[in-house]
This record gives sequence, C-alpha cells and structure tokens, in this order.
Amino acid sequence: MKMKRLVSTLLAGAMALSLVACGATEAPAATTEAPAAETKTEEAAPAPADTTAEATTSDAITLDMWCIATESDSNRHAYEAAIADMQAAYPDITFNWEAFENQSYKTKIKAAVSADELPDIFFTWSCAFLGDFVDAGKVYCLDDEYQNWKSELPEVMLGNTTYNGKHYGVPTTMNIVGLFANMDLLAEVGYDEVPGTYEDFLACCDALKAKGIIPFGCAGKETWCVTEYLESVIEKSIGADELNDIFLGRATWNNEGVATAVDTFQELVTNGYFDPAGVGLTNDEVKANFMDGKYAFYMNGTWNCADFAANEAFFPKVKVAEFPVVDSAKGKLGQLIGGPSDTLAVAASSPNAEKAAAYAMELGKLICHYGYLDGCGLPAWIPYGDTSSVNGLTQAVSDICANADSYVLFGDTAMNADDAQTYLSYVDQVYGCQVDGAAFIAGLTADIR
Amino acid sequence: MAKNNTMNRKSGKNWGQGITIFLFLLPALLLFVSVLIAPIAVSLYRSLQDWNGFSEGTFIGLSNYKELFTSGSIKFTVALKNSLILAFFSVFVQLPLSLLLALLLGRKIKGERFFLSVYFMPVLISTVVIGQLWLKIYNPDYGLLNRMLDALNLSSWKHVWVGEVGYALGAILVPTIWQYVGYHMLLMYAGVKGVNPDLREAAMLDGATNWQVDRYVVIPIIKPIIKVCVIFAVTGSLKTYDLVRILTEGGPFQTTEVPSTLLENMLFLRNRYGMGSTISVMLIILCFAFALLISAAFKEKEN
Amino acid sequence: MEDTNKKTKKNDSSKIQFEEERYTLKKTNPAVKVVIIVFLVIWAFINLFPIYFMFTFSLKSNEEIFGKNVIGLPHDWLWSNYSSAMKTGNMGLYFLNSVLVTVAATAITVIAAMMATYAITRIKWKMSGLTNSFFMLGLTIPLQASIVPVYVLLSNISKKPVIGGIFGINTYASLIIPYAAFTLAMAILICTGFMVEIPYDLDEAARIDGCGLWGTFFKIIVPLMKPALSTIGVYSYLQCWNEFMFANVFISDSVHRTLPVGIKALSGQHTTNWGPIGAALCIATFPTLLVYVFLSKRIQESFIAGAVKG
Repeated sequence: MKMKRLVSTLLAGAMALSLVACGATEAPAATTEAPAAETKTEEAAPAPADTTAEATTSDAITLDMWCIATESDSNRHAYEAAIADMQAAYPDITFNWEAFENQSYKTKIKAAVSADELPDIFFTWSCAFLGDFVDAGKVYCLDDEYQNWKSELPEVMLGNTTYNGKHYGVPTTMNIVGLFANMDLLAEVGYDEVPGTYEDFLACCDALKAKGIIPFGCAGKETWCVTEYLESVIEKSIGADELNDIFLGRATWNNEGVATAVDTFQELVTNGYFDPAGVGLTNDEVKANFMDGKYAFYMNGTWNCADFAANEAFFPKVKVAEFPVVDSAKGKLGQLIGGPSDTLAVAASSPNAEKAAAYAMELGKLICHYGYLDGCGLPAWIPYGDTSSVNGLTQAVSDICANADSYVLFGDTAMNADDAQTYLSYVDQVYGCQVDGAAFIAGLTADIR
Repeated sequence: MAKNNTMNRKSGKNWGQGITIFLFLLPALLLFVSVLIAPIAVSLYRSLQDWNGFSEGTFIGLSNYKELFTSGSIKFTVALKNSLILAFFSVFVQLPLSLLLALLLGRKIKGERFFLSVYFMPVLISTVVIGQLWLKIYNPDYGLLNRMLDALNLSSWKHVWVGEVGYALGAILVPTIWQYVGYHMLLMYAGVKGVNPDLREAAMLDGATNWQVDRYVVIPIIKPIIKVCVIFAVTGSLKTYDLVRILTEGGPFQTTEVPSTLLENMLFLRNRYGMGSTISVMLIILCFAFALLISAAFKEKEN
Repeated sequence: MEDTNKKTKKNDSSKIQFEEERYTLKKTNPAVKVVIIVFLVIWAFINLFPIYFMFTFSLKSNEEIFGKNVIGLPHDWLWSNYSSAMKTGNMGLYFLNSVLVTVAATAITVIAAMMATYAITRIKWKMSGLTNSFFMLGLTIPLQASIVPVYVLLSNISKKPVIGGIFGINTYASLIIPYAAFTLAMAILICTGFMVEIPYDLDEAARIDGCGLWGTFFKIIVPLMKPALSTIGVYSYLQCWNEFMFANVFISDSVHRTLPVGIKALSGQHTTNWGPIGAALCIATFPTLLVYVFLSKRIQESFIAGAVKG
C-alpha cells in the first residue's frame, strides 16, 4: 500500500520535474521517461550489495568530501549512517569528510572552485549553483557512471543537474514547500482542518489575529524564508507554467499577474499576519518559536518534517497542507514549489575522479535512503527496504506530492547566482513594504541581466 | 614628523648603502607587495571585467562602476551612506567620549588604573564574540534590553532592535562605539600622560582650571594622536564588516548593508568577481581619499 | 606648540618618574569631582556589565535565562555548558590556534616593520618619503580587497609538494602571512612615531664608534624600540584575533580553525540553546582578559613611556 503510494509520488514528481530541468536545452522528455521509471520501480527493492562489488577495484586511495551536514543539520544522521556503511563496504578507501555551516559553505565552495581546490566529492545545490561550476569545466561528468545506477535512480530526477544533455549530479533528497499548521492553535479559533480555500484561509488568519495568536512566522534575516511564502502565493495566482518560464528565463518578469500576486502577499504583511519580530530572527529561531506554539502557520521546506517529528510534545499538534489557491483562473491545487536540489558532485580535478564518481553515487543513494527514513525529505532514488517507520508528516507530504501535477523549483536555486541575489533583494524589499508589486516587476525586469 | 628634516646627514650616494636600504626594506616589501599591492593590481584589472571567478572574463570598461550606482538591487549608495553614518558617529561621539575619558583619567583620579583597565577590556574581546553577545542582548523575546524595558514598565519602548528599519543601524552602532572607545582612549591617554607635568603645573599656578589646562595645553599637544584616531575611526568605519555580518546580515531589507558586506555578496553569493573587484577599488579610493582629507584638515588647523 | 614640544623632549628622562611627582592640585569643586567619578563609574559599569551578563548566561539553562532570572547569578551552576562547548565546539583547540597565529603574525610584523622604519626614518635617501607613503597605503586597504587573489595564490602554492604543506591552504602560514602583511602599515606608523623620538645624536655617536647601519640598528635602535612592541602587539592582537573572513575561507579543516570561525560554527549549531554559546564566548574571552589583568599595567606604562608623537 505504502509502496504504491510512493511509486505514484515518484511518477508525479518525475513528470513534473522534467519541466524544471535547468539546462533547459536538452532536458529529458517527460513522456518517454515516465514509463521507464515505472518499470524500474518494480525491481526497486534489491539491497545495495550487488552494486558494491562492481563499483571499485580495491586500490588504497583517499577521498575527501565537503558538505553542509553539520551537527545541527537535520540530514546529519543520514550522512553519518550512510558514510559508516560506505566505510565498512570500502575499507581500502580512506574517506574524509567535513561539514560546514550553510552560509560559509557557499563562500568556501566558490572560492575553492575558482582556485581549483575542490575536494573529490562536494555537496552542491542543483540548477544554477552547480551550473556555474559545470560551465567552468570544474565538475566531473557522471554519464558513464550513471549507466551502473540507472535501475535505481530515475533519469528524470537528474533534470536539475543536467546541462547540455550531460549529467553532473547525484541527487539525494527532494523537498517541497509545505504549509505547516499548529492544529492546537487552529482549534482555538474553531478550525480542525487547515483551511482549503484562500478566503477561508484569510478568515482563519483574522480569527487568529483577533485571538492574539500570530498567524505566520517568517525569518526576515534569511530572505529565502520569505520566498517560501511569496513563491507559493505567486504560483497559486499565476500558475506553475508561467512562474517556471520566468524563473528559467524563458519569460521576463514584466508580468501583471506577478505584480498582483506580490500585492496579495504584501496584504498578508500589512494586515499584520506576520510576526513583526520575525524580521530580526534567523530561520532556526523562527522554527523554534513555531514549535513553542508561538505561530499558527509556518511555511517552509518539508525537510523540517524530521525535526518536527523528533519533538514529541509538538509532533501531535502539527499538520502539513498545500497553500490554498489564490486565483483559480490560473493557479490550482497540485502545483507545488520544490524539487530535488540537494546534490553530490565530483570535482573534475580529482585525481581519482572515476572512483569518486562511483563512491558518490552509492553514497548519494544511501544518504537518500537514511534521509528518507529520518523524514528529511522525499527520496530522489527509488526507495528500498522497510520504509514503514517514516514519520506521518513526511507521509502526508508524499500524499500531497502524489496528487501534484507540476513543480516549480525554488526561485533562488533555479536562477543563476547573480539573478538569484537580485531577486532576493527585491523579495526582501517587498517583505519590508519598500516596493509594491508594480515596482517589484519593474525593478526585476530592469536589473536581471 | 617635523624632525624628518633635521635628519642624519649621511651621504646616500654609494651603492653599498642602496643595497643596505633595500635589504632593510625587503621583508616588509615582500609581505606588502605579495599580499596587498599585487592583489589590488589584479582587482583594478578585474574591476573592468564581467568575471565570475572561474571562467574567462570579458572586458566591459566602466560598466561595473556605472551599475554600482544605478542598480536597484545592489544598494551600494545605501551601503556608502551607512558607512559614512558610522564614520560620523565614530568621530563625533566615540572620539569625544574617548578624549573626555583620557583627559579625566589623566588628572590622577582615584582608581585611575582600575578605570583604565576596565575601559580597555571590550577592545580585547573578539568582534565575533561581541556580535554574538549583543545578539543575545538585542534578542526581541528573551534579550536583556527588552526584558529590562519590561521591568522598567517601558514596554512600549521595546523594539526588534536588529530587525527594524531605523533601529538596526543604531543596533550596530552601539557595540561598535562601545568596543572601540577604550582603544582610542588608551592612545589619547598615552598622549595626555606624555604631557610634561611641569607645563600643567605652570598653567595651574597661573590660575588655570583643569578644564582650561586640558583645552589650551593638553589637547594641542596630543593633536597628532587625535589625527591618527580620526583616520582610524573613519577608515575603520568604511571597512566595517564583522558586526554587520553577525548582527543584521545587512538587513532588514538591506538597509544596513555596508560596502564590505556587499563586496562579499558579490564574490560569494552572486559570483560576480568583477563587480566585487569594483567595490574593493571603490573602497580603497574612499579610504585613501578620507585619509588624505583628514590629514589636510589637521595641517590646515596647525597653520 | 613647537616650544612645548621642545620642553617635553628635554624632560624625557624625568617623564618616567612622573608617577612619583606631586604637584599641588587646585581645589576643584567637590560637586564636579563627584560628577566626574559618577560618570567614570557608570561608564565602567557599561563596560563590565555585558561581560558579566555573558558570564552568567554561560552557566544557566534556557529556562533560567528566558524565565525570571535574567541578570542574576545562576541558581544552578551549569558547568556542563562548558564541557559541551569544549567537546562539540572544540574551543580549546581553536583558542590555541588563535594564539599561535596571532603571536607568529605579530613577531613577523614587528621585525619587518622595525627594519623598514629604520630604512625610512634614519637613513637619508631620496625615496624615503615616497616609500613611507607607499606603506601607508596599507592603512587604508580593506582586507576584503585581496581575499580572492590571495586565495588563488595560496591554492597554487598548495599544489607544490613540500612548500604546499607549509604555506598553502589549511596551514597556519596561510593566515599568519596575510595577517602580518595587513598589520604592517600600522606597525610602521607606530614604529615611525617611536623611532623619530630617539635622538639622532645617538646614530652619530654610533657612527663615530665605527658602527655601520646594521650595527646601529641592532645595537642602538632595536633595544630602544622596546616600548613600541606592546603598542604594536596590542594593535596586531586586535587585527589577528578578530579576523573572521580570511580565517573562514583559507582554513577548511577544523584542525587549523581559529576562534571567530569556531564560535560562528558553534552558534550555528546551538541557535536556541544559549548556555553553550555563552560558554564558548567565555572560553574565547576570559583567558585573554585574565592575561590582560595581570599585564595591563605594563601595557599601559609602555604606552605612556612611548607617548606617540604622530
């Protein structure tokens, strides 16, 4: 039963994801790939044992990896478990890994790329982030290695790391933006379900506000948290296709629908639905506040499911839902923000690139496996083994994905670094009510290069 | 400095001496050129390029400089304004405070050593520590500041100190000033103590008050030190980075960006090494211009 | 102005004993005196209180900090915060790294600066003024300006077999050398201030005694420059101890990490648990403050004895 649901999840994801493919030029076509994925899911169960034998001939080498799975990262356990498995399976390979805090990692990895100092394997975000490195010829192409893993990793999952038809990344988990709700607080204003329509949703927010409960928590110190709200509002106003075109540069920002959607979002801000203190907080602090029952809603990535599930007092209260449709003329349910972004890549400069590629593939698969069991996200690889222990919240996300028909990747991941920052800058200004929808699209149209 | 003129009159014409001079300068030159000058030359060259740091750059002339001032998302003008505000407060709040403390402590106040030691303490603490500490003081829910206001029944004065437009820059300003008052004070105090006690005594015997002695005897003597302090305060403000990074990340809504945070964003978030180089060139020019300006202003006054 | 300067110079020898000198103070208005003392005490309080606050919250649980006991001494002294900062945060190692890097950078700066200053201020040659201005450029150059070119350079060195392990990325030298370079301009400025104070007659006397430039430098100048050391040391300490950007980029392994980066990393791990962060802040702060308490008199006295003359 569960398995079936997951397969359908994957399929839905598969079809939608091909829309997003960043290389844009030669993305695998959804129609041909989807059935392929289906046939493969049936034999998805086999354990990794058979692949380990062929993966490497034993030669003592050292592989280094950089990632962002620090002690506080929800993926930490998945990395540790996966690496322990790998080290046991390949005693000849000395594997050193180091985790860095997210923001400083971005600094570090880019400096390392420009100086040809990349470790053999490195964590990266998909689409534009990895794309810049690929363009510069710093990333090892995984096409050959992928042939060994085809049966376990659907090719559609590689859409975001495919450039000019070549694969460069090993995806681990995929995530979407979820609307998390504290049902205890909603019950106080008479709701026992997350409101399904936008009108109802606004009414709920008003009721919460009247009761002195803050509807939303959002970390103003990290603009990507604002985009989790804003992008959902835009998508549910203008529809996934239009937003995708804009994010991938196929259409300009000069779009009246976006301006209106931005104004809609700004109304949420000016109506006082957001915690004013959130402006000065980091996401971790906002998340902690949400778990302390300070906010009724928290829109953020579904990787949070793991942390929510780990908090025994809070877990029974929380539910996840899809953001309601704002403008039903274009937006509809089943259009989600998200996709596989967490990726492992291999440095072209690695002296053992070929072995590193095999290692990265298998490591990625194991991280995906453990990460899924931990509830850090949905699997990009075909799940195997017993997955009944996956927490209820992650399973609810699976359900939402199962009914999804299209995905739009997070804007700041889909765009190249420069455009993403320009975009985030304007999102920030929207959140601060310094520009309105019209100024937002005008500014972006002018500044995006 | 004036004594440079009355310098040792050694004949500097033989080769041996030239080599000796060069050898004396060599360690400093090596350090200086390899770490500062050569990279700046590279920056100057790159500032005229559209370069992402790893692939080949394309020459685009002064476009980067133009974009710096016209773009609606880069916010360089805001950053510049912020660092000038920081410089203004450093010079007109921090330095007078330092001077006042230095003068008072120069008067043989009881507990002089104690005060001196205490005032210099914050200077010794790492900026990252100070940033983290003040972050805890400013925390909107549990921070010391808001809790104190609550306790004093001044809840209406509470703010999200690092998150509200209009307060965030002040929230950066306060620890900056707090931390470095001691540094400037110690420099000035050293000058004050260097003033010949006879002079002070003579002035006192002529009936001058302590304030008059400070005003007409001490301050003119320590003027060169004050000049140095002003230059440090201004160029330091232009270079501000750590506290902004830790306290506000340039927010809210990019209202507290300073040139250094923008520079970092250019390099590591936007992959625009060309534009980053442009900002560093601008910073260098600004710092240098201000240093010259201040020196000139002090020279003017002396004459 | 010139006059007072000369007088000060003449009294150089007496300056050192001024502590013992007494001169009659005019009776200041006692009210003014009280105001002054109150002002000084308040400012001292403002300086000490955040440090006290840091110390207390480093020993509390979140319940105490967020509850009623914000500024009081901890009810339960949670030393476990410290062990968790030491264990998960590795603060002990980072502290030693910071000390090593700071001391080494300071030593290099002092040597290079003294030599350069000697050549600039005490040997007469045409370009000395220009060379000085050249070095003074360093005062205005922001650290950030050279981060990428320097990083690329360091990485290229990294690839060389032997040198790479000493000077490349992930070595102490990759921080020490840039730090020394960025402190250099300031050190030269300070050295100049001190060196022009040394009577030029001494050089002449040394020359008559048959000392060359090197002899004069090592036998006459260097011993007299001792007071400059602490001033340079303090400035250099501030520059190196605080530095965050280079340390973050040039060091990617945790073995060579310095304190600021370590603290940032730890605070990323414990955003909502204040105790261990406070403990890390204290570990990073109190040892140096303690040293300072013992040495403060010496540091301040060398400041005074030197009395920078710009």
